[in-house]
Amino acid sequence: MLIMPRTAFIPARPRPLTDVEFCAWIGQAMPDDRLEYHRGFLGIDTTAVISTLPEPERRRLGALASAAHRAFEADLVHLVQVRLGPDRFAYLAIARTKPRRPPKALDRLLEDAEAA
Amino acid sequence: MHPPITPADLAILIDESAVAARRLHLKLVLPAADLDDLRQDLLVDLICRLPGFDARRGSIGAFAGIILRNQSARIAIRHHRQRRAQGGTVLSLDAPIAGGVEPLGCLLAETDGLAAWHGQDASAAEDAELRHDLALALGALPEETRRLCAALGTCAIAEIVSHNDISRSALYRRIARLRLDLAMRGFGAWWDASRVA
Repeated sequence: MLIMPRTAFIPARPRPLTDVEFCAWIGQAMPDDRLEYHRGFLGIDTTAVISTLPEPERRRLGALASAAHRAFEADLVHLVQVRLGPDRFAYLAIARTKPRRPPKALDRLLEDAEAA
Repeated sequence: MHPPITPADLAILIDESAVAARRLHLKLVLPAADLDDLRQDLLVDLICRLPGFDARRGSIGAFAGIILRNQSARIAIRHHRQRRAQGGTVLSLDAPIAGGVEPLGCLLAETDGLAAWHGQDASAAEDAELRHDLALALGALPEETRRLCAALGTCAIAEIVSHNDISRSALYRRIARLRLDLAMRGFGAWWDASRVA
């Protein structure tokens, strides 16, 4: 029987999700894939003064919430919240089907943008 | 110590090397990209042999002619030997190979091409997919953001700031938003589930 020796290192702790990572997930997600991007009370956790999070953490969460809203407005995700208890929610992003047909060819798009 | 070569003599050496390289290039039916290599090889060899030049025995042009002729012959012999070792003559991509009707170029995959041998992994199919994905992503962006994309492709930041009456910090904020917009359409950032909580 093979016995694995005890690891001599402590595995790196995963970091909280950033806005860019969240967007990268959307970029690679298949329709109906879901990601929990926050757990707590987003409205309070992102608001200065009343948030209990440290300031860098609150800013990170604010940027993440903005990115989620931006993706929702671009029709790339559904945003859903699941109630876990009093004043506590799981915030989920569910990937939507992406459009497949480009509106114009790339050359035309770039020419139009440069001409404008 | 030999006297330094004059600019006029150097110009003669460069011209003679260029003529000899073109002649050899035509003779060996080499690809266009090889002409510069040939020219450089011949010139370097000629410069290395300059200590043997004696002005009392003839002009530098004549000296260069002899050296270049000999070196061209050596390169041609080496080249023919390599071709023989590779199994014969150069094949045309436009002509069908023996027993077939399709041109050779149609039978070779991208990975058999010279570019792939030299580590360039460009593929026409992948290029087409990339252009399609880019068109999709850019088409979904607002007109103003698309203009920013086009400007960033051709102009420096300072130029965009001066032409658009926008502060540098505002421009960087827009670029940060653009980065997110492109990431959520599959460009620029990579999702690694093991690194986030």
